[in-house]
Amino acid sequence: MALAARTHRSRNPIAAEDRIAGWMFLLPALVIFAVFIIGPILYVFWLSFHQWSVITPEKPWVGLQNYRKLFSGNRDFEIALRNTVWFAIGVVPTQTILGLLLAVLANRKIKGKTFFRTAFYFPSISSSVVISIIFLWLYAQNGLLNAVLHRIGLPTPTPPWISNPRGVIEMALGSFGIHHISLWLAGPSVALLSIMMMNVWTTMGTMMVVFLAGLQDIPPDVYEAAALDGATRTRQFIDITVPLLRPVIFFVLTLGIIGTFQVFDQIFVMTSGGPAKTTTTLAYLVYQEGFGNFSMGYASAIAVVLFFMILIIFLIQRRIVANQEPM
Amino acid sequence: MERTETRGRVSRRTVVKGMAAGAIAMPVLLRGSGAWAQDVTGTVRLSGGTSSPDEEKLLREVLADFQQKFPKITVKYEPVPANYLIKIQTDIAAGNAADVFYVQSEYAQDFMSRGVLLDIDDYMSKDNVKASDYYPGLISAFVWQGKTYGIPKDWSPLGQTYDTTAFSDAGVKAPTTWDELRSVLTTLKQKSGKPALVLDAQFERFIMFLLQAGGNVTNKDASKLTLDQPEVLTALDYYYGLYKDKLSTTSADAGAGWPGDAFAKNLAEDVMEGNWMFPFLKTNAPDKKFACAELPAGPAGKGTPAFTVSYSIFKGSKVADAAWVLVRFLTGPEGMAKWTSLGLAMPSRPDLMDNWVKEYPIRKPFADSGSYATPAQFGPGGQKFISDADSILQSLFAGQVDTKEAQAQLVTVGNQDITLVPATAPTGGVPSGATPAATPGT
Repeated sequence: MALAARTHRSRNPIAAEDRIAGWMFLLPALVIFAVFIIGPILYVFWLSFHQWSVITPEKPWVGLQNYRKLFSGNRDFEIALRNTVWFAIGVVPTQTILGLLLAVLANRKIKGKTFFRTAFYFPSISSSVVISIIFLWLYAQNGLLNAVLHRIGLPTPTPPWISNPRGVIEMALGSFGIHHISLWLAGPSVALLSIMMMNVWTTMGTMMVVFLAGLQDIPPDVYEAAALDGATRTRQFIDITVPLLRPVIFFVLTLGIIGTFQVFDQIFVMTSGGPAKTTTTLAYLVYQEGFGNFSMGYASAIAVVLFFMILIIFLIQRRIVANQEPM
Repeated sequence: MERTETRGRVSRRTVVKGMAAGAIAMPVLLRGSGAWAQDVTGTVRLSGGTSSPDEEKLLREVLADFQQKFPKITVKYEPVPANYLIKIQTDIAAGNAADVFYVQSEYAQDFMSRGVLLDIDDYMSKDNVKASDYYPGLISAFVWQGKTYGIPKDWSPLGQTYDTTAFSDAGVKAPTTWDELRSVLTTLKQKSGKPALVLDAQFERFIMFLLQAGGNVTNKDASKLTLDQPEVLTALDYYYGLYKDKLSTTSADAGAGWPGDAFAKNLAEDVMEGNWMFPFLKTNAPDKKFACAELPAGPAGKGTPAFTVSYSIFKGSKVADAAWVLVRFLTGPEGMAKWTSLGLAMPSRPDLMDNWVKEYPIRKPFADSGSYATPAQFGPGGQKFISDADSILQSLFAGQVDTKEAQAQLVTVGNQDITLVPATAPTGGVPSGATPAATPGT
């Protein structure tokens, strides 16, 4: 049927004209998209099979050498992968749950609703560089966070937050006398955890806005019917809100994972990948290898691997959500 | 007047070095060279990183002087306020690099070995510019396989800057040896209850202890990695020992952005930084009373890294002649005297050091270290090595590895990052720090 429709349309001269007009309207955007998005992506794929120091014009073909370097137990890559995975594991569920809770709260008929919505969304539209610099002050040895912790008598980490390379799980186990655990099990460092907390704070507003839109699409009569049947607020939330929000949740999770796998600007401003590489994420490693180590080919290979990782996670997620779709 | 005086001193030194013929011929050559430069035309683009508006303003003034002297050459100055290395790399990749640009000693070998820079030896001999006009520890950073690819525009060592009030209250003098440093810091700590020295876990600070212990990353011609030598462990033990025994602390622990900041905020009584500290102190702690001293000597004597930046000419430049005339002016006695008058860095020409020290007497110890300073340069790949080594030192300070393990890791990343130069390759030029530099002053 689709085929029939297509043949039919192409024979219709007016529709053909419309189509040309459509393409003409799209053209400016398409050209920009091709030159600045598609072009560079293809170039990265091409570069990943070459060696390029950036400052020389020669780009000799090296086949799979860059990829082999990546997968032959390269420590920097493993560290960056570990940091990125911990970052995603910590940030994505937290920001999704908090975003959903905020949306539900902001969706109620409470006083000052608009104020709260604006306040929670505000960090998302602020410059991430500005936020990063503010958090640098908050996390400093004599910063606000430590001052508050001191006041209420809680311990503060030494070295202070974003300068502390110790893994949080490592520290927790250390207090039970367990030492020398593996790279992966040590958990995110205190420094990475600090950036994770900041990241949750800035992005949960975005998630809240997306959830709010989703919540407003749920017809109120469903809740009314449930209430008549005697369902409690919690029950309504679990059995109505969450299932009906499933496509939105999928969207938020996808957005979250892509965002966390690409985290760069906060790292660049706050820690430059340190201390002891514990905040070097994959995206930051790409930058470091490309511009700090004169190996743009290798950096491109990391970018390609990162691309496929995000793609695979996206496909898996889509499969899961599609399977759970109600009839 | 200053110029004649300068020339006199240069020729005296060349005579001493047994190159009498050159010295006699020089005045003639210099006059001749001035003539050819006057006829050069073109528009030269100049690019470099700047750390402050003052720095940019001053360079513009120096360039105005140049413009007056060489009206046929137009200079377009393109300052880069941040991420200079990234900017210059992408400019080179796009074939759009400035004709003259800054090259820092740390990555100079990466640039030189990849043939990005113009070999200026012919220009130098044409205008009788001698390597010996500059501190050997500085110009050698821009020599690769016997050819020169840049002239150091200025430099800074690391030196001690200490709080004179705190030191006299505690009745101590600036330490001159490792042992004295420890005892001075102990006394200061008894007085104030907190570590007096702020020193970060950074390879480019650790390197001073390594040099004082008699070690380095590679041997002189960068043909062999020397990180496995016992001096490295000695230096690590001393450096980390200060922190472990709470005689020193880091900027982050002290609650400052960097040691200079800690010093300005009275969180440190002694810091080991370079000339970049002083403009910062002038702005942020104008009333602070301080003095300077050379770094304390280690088991192998005195040592400090020399941080330097060159003016180099892009190999793809279409106005190489004009570019050279600019480089020669900026690194010549007149241009450099004016440029270093701001005090951000010191002249790389020993002949200008006397006057500079007269202007900045407090920093005489910094100037004195010119005779033994070793360039902060660790072979091609050094830039990456520095960042990997930083991360190892941060693990050391966090107590995740001990000094032995830290040394083992340094060897691993050294082998992985640094491309050694085959020992047979002609290195030429003046080997890094091999010859003691002409000591400024008489």
